[in-house]
Amino acid sequence: MGALSRDEIQRQVDSVRAQRSELENHVIDEYRAGYIGRREFMKRGAVVGMSLPLLSFLASACGSGEKEPSSGGSPATKADVSKGGTIRTGLQLPGSDLDPIKVNNQGALAVLSQSGEFLIFSDRELKPIPRLAESWKPNGDGSKWTFKIRQGVKFQDGKPMTAEDVAATFNLHADPDNGSNALSAFTGVLSKGGAQATDDSTVVFELDAPNGNFPFTTSSDNYNLIIQPKGSDPTKWSKTFPGTGPWKLEKYTPNVGVNYVPNPDYWDKSRQPLPSRNEIKFYEKEEAAVLGVQGGEVDVLAQFSPVNGKALLTDQNVQVIELRASQHRQMHMRTDKEPFNDKRVRQAVALLINRENIVKGLLEGKSDYGNDSPFAPVYPSTDKSVAQRKQDVEKAKALLSEAGKGNLSVELRGWNGFEMPQYAQLVQNDLKDAGIGVKLNFTDSATYYGDAVYGKSPWLDSTFGITEYGHRGVPNVFLDAPLKSDGTWNSAHFKNKDYDKLVNEYVASIDLQSQRTAAKKIQEMLLDEVPIVFAYFYFYLTATKPDIAGVDVSAMGHVDVSQAGTKA
Amino acid sequence: MVFLAAQVLPGDVGRRVLGPFADQASVDALNKQLGTDRPLITQYWDWISSFVTGDLGESIRNRPVSDVLFDPMVSSGKLALLAFVIVVPLAIAGGVVAAMNEGSFRDRLISVGGLSATAIPEFVWAVFFILIFALGLGLFPTTAQFPDGSSVFTQLKYLLLPSLCLVCVLFGYIARMARAGTIEALDADYTRTAILKGLPRRTVIRRHVLRNSLLPTIAVVATQAGYLIGGLVIIEVIFNYNGIGQTLARAATQKDIPVLQSGVLLVGIVYLVATLIADILYSVLNPRVRLGAAE
Repeated sequence: MGALSRDEIQRQVDSVRAQRSELENHVIDEYRAGYIGRREFMKRGAVVGMSLPLLSFLASACGSGEKEPSSGGSPATKADVSKGGTIRTGLQLPGSDLDPIKVNNQGALAVLSQSGEFLIFSDRELKPIPRLAESWKPNGDGSKWTFKIRQGVKFQDGKPMTAEDVAATFNLHADPDNGSNALSAFTGVLSKGGAQATDDSTVVFELDAPNGNFPFTTSSDNYNLIIQPKGSDPTKWSKTFPGTGPWKLEKYTPNVGVNYVPNPDYWDKSRQPLPSRNEIKFYEKEEAAVLGVQGGEVDVLAQFSPVNGKALLTDQNVQVIELRASQHRQMHMRTDKEPFNDKRVRQAVALLINRENIVKGLLEGKSDYGNDSPFAPVYPSTDKSVAQRKQDVEKAKALLSEAGKGNLSVELRGWNGFEMPQYAQLVQNDLKDAGIGVKLNFTDSATYYGDAVYGKSPWLDSTFGITEYGHRGVPNVFLDAPLKSDGTWNSAHFKNKDYDKLVNEYVASIDLQSQRTAAKKIQEMLLDEVPIVFAYFYFYLTATKPDIAGVDVSAMGHVDVSQAGTKA
Repeated sequence: MVFLAAQVLPGDVGRRVLGPFADQASVDALNKQLGTDRPLITQYWDWISSFVTGDLGESIRNRPVSDVLFDPMVSSGKLALLAFVIVVPLAIAGGVVAAMNEGSFRDRLISVGGLSATAIPEFVWAVFFILIFALGLGLFPTTAQFPDGSSVFTQLKYLLLPSLCLVCVLFGYIARMARAGTIEALDADYTRTAILKGLPRRTVIRRHVLRNSLLPTIAVVATQAGYLIGGLVIIEVIFNYNGIGQTLARAATQKDIPVLQSGVLLVGIVYLVATLIADILYSVLNPRVRLGAAE
């Protein structure tokens, strides 16, 4: 760039811009104006379909923007590792059959992405990386997206992967009759038949409504969506693990583990597996998995929590990769029931919680603070100017007194998993400061979730409860199902038309500035209404043996050991 | 009974498989595919009519129940066998030594030590052994799940720590029974007669004392078979071992009724077979039972 004059660079930029769409130019404008930084520019540019070389040119030519948050951890780089050998990874036991339709936990989704691949991979920086899609572009309002499908890719049985396979995979998951777990992400976004292969290398998605973040819905964030051969039976997936990924099934032993060997026909020559074997071991309990990595049974533990894996955080023989993430706990308060139907009581509860104690004590500092909205600090669209809620016992007491609610007694429901029982105990202790008595009622998860429909589920029916939510690359799901008036997971029974309108506005926004404008309004509204306390967004933690390098993970739970090995 | 008990568990099968955040349409579709939306009586009839023909049916995870249960059953059998092979002779020897030294320090050490070990839950032993022998000394793996194609020696190495936990839990109980039986046999008239006849002490112990003192011990050992095969959920969880206990616990939480029903039945059969073997041994060791039956 240094050899070119400023005028020449400007001419080139103008020439490029003349060929770009309005949306792409909008992203370029945001970057030039300093609203977004380089990393965010690369990410937003990729979302609206600009290629990496083009983005790199524009990023250099147009200067740098504002500083932005990092998702943490060191970026994945090609490590200097020895080729060959076996990498053993500990994963949570899959909670369902290994069938792309049913998969619903970290262990199972990480298995899918060894031999399977997505159109886009949402990386640790929440950036969409093209995989089976080469590029993508929205129409003017983001209601129609056109994806160019990579050519020359083969499934592991040797058949070529085509746009027909891609469209068939999406329509399979969007069909309510098939019972796909991806359906909750598709509701209101993509209906059956919405994906159409218009030629061998193009798939057009006609959406139910404009959606600025649609590429993420097609990405590894929507973990069921590995591309499968058209007409294949998902219930038979675990026989051969069909896909286009870098690893090929060698042996699968249900409830025990999976062994893989490199896929010799893998299309991406830069990601050809370095290890000669990839072994996955399943662990039913996190405690056993922690012992597994400490005892050298596995080289990598894909995920552990600060509560059960405290020993790993201080173990000199273990290295920890930490990623900022949006995984969190929601503490709902029924807005239509005593005593939480008075928003002053909800505000008081939120003010009584000592978030510092939770983040620094319970979570060992491996967490961001929550500000009572789903906008985690890791999201670029989160408006950081909204003041962080902090513990204020006196203000809480005043609010309770104003509301005429002294000596309250409430039952807090939840289930005995992760750090939730300990979190509930801290809440119980904090609320005592203002005379609110909390009776804990923690059961097994099946009892808590019940039938997961209103009227048949303590989760959705209880007055006060704690529920766990995993990471998402964009906050759309968190904004919708647990908080919109017609949301299917609305345990707070929060019904607010203004909120619904703001969320629709946010979801339809394609540029970051519009998203931030809507986000700020949502954040302020939720901070005032407090249907749900979002006290923290904890980090995604991975443990590896110290002599292992090149392991790549995403906060969604995907683990890529294709470039891993013993440090040379 | 198992079928009815499983119905009491909250949540339906589709919801258990897909998780709480799955769309209700997905759950309904899966229940339809699995046939779990049909009336209970129809589901039960389908299962029982297939079962009598030897078909254990299909798990809700799309695998034949026989496949789901076979490997865990073999795994549990290996663990139980190793624990048995260690604990039975050890505890009997301990009980006999204690009885023959009744009231001595050796007796107290075996009796009190054994009972104390029994009183400590198996998961405490598991954590203790893992910390000392696996993480501390690095002599054993932290898991019991040996790699595919392991030699017998490697399998033993992986299974030793969980077996030792079971040995600790069972030793005191079996040794206590052996001690009581031995003390009783030592006091019996036939033992006194054998000694007065001038038989060597070793022969008296082997032919007269042990033969009689082991009768109640055999019954106790047989009752532990069901526990050792199907009741080791905690040990299997801590040592990450794919045994039948964990498989059944998982089937119960997921409402995988075909697996649960057949698994419980299999463990019941193991228990019956163990009791039968104990009865046969009992009659071999006790001529009164044999002769009584013959009469």
